[in-house]
Amino acid sequence: MAEQTQGAVPLSAVIADAATGVALALQGGGDPYALSRILRQGDPLAAAAVRVLGADALAPYALEHRAVPAGADDEAVVRQTLAAYPPGADASAVSAWSYRGLVEATHAYLPSGAQPWPRPPEAAAEWTGTDPWPRLAHRVSQLAALALPDLAGELAEQLGARTDDLARGFVRAVRRRDWLQAAGVGRWLARLPGVPATLGLDAGLAFVRQMGGGDPRVALHVVAAQRFFGRGW
Amino acid sequence: MITDRTAPVETAALAAEVEGLLTPAEPDGVYRDTRECGGGLLLLGLLLISPPTPRPKTGLR
Amino acid sequence: MSAGRGDPELLDRLVGGSLGWLEKRRDHFRLPPDATTDADPNLTLKPLGELAELTQFIGSAHPLPEVRATAAALFAFAWREAREGELFAELIRGEPYATYPVEIYGAFAQAGLRHPAVEELVLTTTGLRGWRVAREDHTRTLGVLNAERRIGLAQHADFDAAFARTGLGLRPEPWALDRRAAYGLTHDVFHLTDWGRNPRRLSPEAAGYLRLWLPSWLENWLEEQLWDLVGELLAVAACLPGAPYDAAAWQRLAAAQAADGGVPETGAVPRPADPAEDFLACYHSTLVTAFAGTLARIASDEAGAGTGPVPAGDAAVAGRTPCESEAAL
Repeated sequence: MAEQTQGAVPLSAVIADAATGVALALQGGGDPYALSRILRQGDPLAAAAVRVLGADALAPYALEHRAVPAGADDEAVVRQTLAAYPPGADASAVSAWSYRGLVEATHAYLPSGAQPWPRPPEAAAEWTGTDPWPRLAHRVSQLAALALPDLAGELAEQLGARTDDLARGFVRAVRRRDWLQAAGVGRWLARLPGVPATLGLDAGLAFVRQMGGGDPRVALHVVAAQRFFGRGW
Repeated sequence: MITDRTAPVETAALAAEVEGLLTPAEPDGVYRDTRECGGGLLLLGLLLISPPTPRPKTGLR
Repeated sequence: MSAGRGDPELLDRLVGGSLGWLEKRRDHFRLPPDATTDADPNLTLKPLGELAELTQFIGSAHPLPEVRATAAALFAFAWREAREGELFAELIRGEPYATYPVEIYGAFAQAGLRHPAVEELVLTTTGLRGWRVAREDHTRTLGVLNAERRIGLAQHADFDAAFARTGLGLRPEPWALDRRAAYGLTHDVFHLTDWGRNPRRLSPEAAGYLRLWLPSWLENWLEEQLWDLVGELLAVAACLPGAPYDAAAWQRLAAAQAADGGVPETGAVPRPADPAEDFLACYHSTLVTAFAGTLARIASDEAGAGTGPVPAGDAAVAGRTPCESEAAL
């Protein structure tokens, strides 16, 4: 990879590296996962990368024996993120939900030290009922990291009423070769009940991985769908 | 990979970049069809899905 | 998509504009003197065959009498161009093993337009063992079987078995569909339902599959601006129980129709200046638009009359048998 003259690595590259690390941990490969080893505390890009990855930065902690018990350094990276990138008053729904997902993941997967984790902030959800299906699918794909066990239960319930629409979004995304969107929607479909059988979700996730797995985030979503919800192969 | 992540980072710019990465616009669709599909939609068209059988040239009469 | 009355005004404008365009360019459908020998059948017989197939349906089934009259006149023109069937006798004598003369003749035969020499010829040619050898394309086989049914010939293969091997019979992963497969699916529906005349021939499984995935395919091909395929997909939607009506898709198809009524094959390239080329670039999509608009308009009428109502998702079927193909013989 070309080093930039200023010595700075682009944020997208940091995120890609971290996504690769998370996916590897979910597959059971490599050393036990520790967030602070993937993204060092004090690195100005670490907090930004955790914010973008959202709950996925903590996904390996949802698995027993896949991660070392979270330590103070791991907790510090998360606290730094939550402090540095709170969604503003005019933040998009995706930004608000993604932040909330990260907070929920701390409660679910990371026992806190001395200080308790903040309460998950409220996030608007009326779009789950009002978005036309292509927009809904795109938005849901941006919230793929929330498709984790014990997170965003209410959101999952509301999306469960629109599995047909999300499945349509998956079809549309694959056909236009938007692998990241397809992987994100596919991951959510893996979590939801009642996905139409003719969709062929398992084959679809495998196909997306083969076609778009060069993007570490695509690979991460497909791996998560398999590891947590048993879909795809 | 050697990464130097100590360069000063403009915080506001980073926050904007984070927002952008959280909500990327849809990329343009990429449509590429099986190559045998291409070339002459007219041949595929409505009634005669595949081209009719080749016919002998005149001059035999 | 929603079931219901749709937008009859828009549909009438669309169909009227399309038929007007076809009427005005009727002479481009005329066959050249070498139509049965050297001319490219894709540029001569295929357009005429499509004109016959679709105007026969529109002329017999559209709710508006003036639309029916225009379409019926075009159908009568096509029969005259076919020299009242003599064309098919000539084609079959020249190419006894080709299926397309039989397929096109079927469009006329089911409307009661027949030619004695053709009737005798096809009894012989379609009775050969060679006629039963599997064809490359199972969708095409359905088309041949439908033609046989229309003409009143023995079926050279079992329709259900042939259907089971088509795209709609197998119902592939809806994301694993290229353009050719999509055309195959729409034609599976057309051959199965006898071009929309018998929508109840669609099984609940096939109808459910189409109802689920048509919105995705429509989005994709609207984005590609492949208007003929958009029209075919809309026609398929109109064949489903309850005829789900995708208002946005219809509006975009209507926007693709030029002021002269022509609908180009694709929005990606400008229409040719040369009239003959422009005809070839538009005739197919324009015919498909008129056909799809007619099917949707019939469904709209049925919904309005409360005869074929059918809330979306219901397995109930709207009846429609303006021209029963089995009655052909």
